[in-house]
Amino acid sequence: MQSENFSPTDSLQLINNMINQAKNRFSENGFLYLLWGWLILFCSLGQFIMMQLHLFKHPEMVWMSTWLAAIFQIIYLVKTKKKEIVKTYSENIINYIWVSFGVCMFILAFTLGKTQGWDIVYALFLMLYGTPTFLSGVVMQFKPLKIGGIVCWVLAIVATLIAPVYGLLLLAAAMVAAWIVPGYLLRKKFKNQNN
Amino acid sequence: MAFKELDPILHSQLRLAVVSLLISVREAEFTFLKEKTNATAGNLSVQINKLKDAGYIEVTKQFSNNYPQTICRITKKGIESFEDYVSALQSYMNLGTP
Repeated sequence: MQSENFSPTDSLQLINNMINQAKNRFSENGFLYLLWGWLILFCSLGQFIMMQLHLFKHPEMVWMSTWLAAIFQIIYLVKTKKKEIVKTYSENIINYIWVSFGVCMFILAFTLGKTQGWDIVYALFLMLYGTPTFLSGVVMQFKPLKIGGIVCWVLAIVATLIAPVYGLLLLAAAMVAAWIVPGYLLRKKFKNQNN
Repeated sequence: MAFKELDPILHSQLRLAVVSLLISVREAEFTFLKEKTNATAGNLSVQINKLKDAGYIEVTKQFSNNYPQTICRITKKGIESFEDYVSALQSYMNLGTP
């Protein structure tokens, strides 16, 4: 790039070109959507099957695996943050959306533990899953995540109409629509950009 | 119609490219700026120092996995100067319009 005199038109073209280069950079590889999508799918289906077949006394113990995933996620994020060569405003917003989601999930689990309101647990979880998914889709301008978020909200209403035990199946279906399918599409988009 | 003078710090291709990239992101590492501007490391380093001396960008040097990292971030003064520069460019363009 030369630093000779250039016209106002050249300047505007250069500004436009650089802003587009930074704007079109897509840094989401979908890994965490896939990790959590598959994990929650297996946990919900696992608990449902164990409950139906009376395999264990405490089938809800499968959810303990999410703690391992949370620890793994922290290590993964620390490592990937170190490798990042650029940080965008949209990534920052998305990070805070998911931090808020984590806090809300913790408060909800704590509140439900105190109030024993387990009959509405799936509707509340599905409503919460939908919010960060939809907002991330809006910020990233990525339609599959927006659709996934809406599917979660629709399933949250469905969860109030059926027996609580089937809420686990709704949770599994929500994971496919909200995190697994968009996760694979994000991965494909990321790979296409970097090839 | 009066037209504004173009800021000589920004009216240079490489410095303008760097500021345009930094205006779009929260912060960027030297390697990102080098990749996007196709500049040589030496030239980019000189221009980054000029922008830093003018107070348009902040430069933080740190180590990550034993490798040195140079992180650049636009300042409030940099954003204001960029906006003034774009506004001055528009006044030039308007003068050219019959």
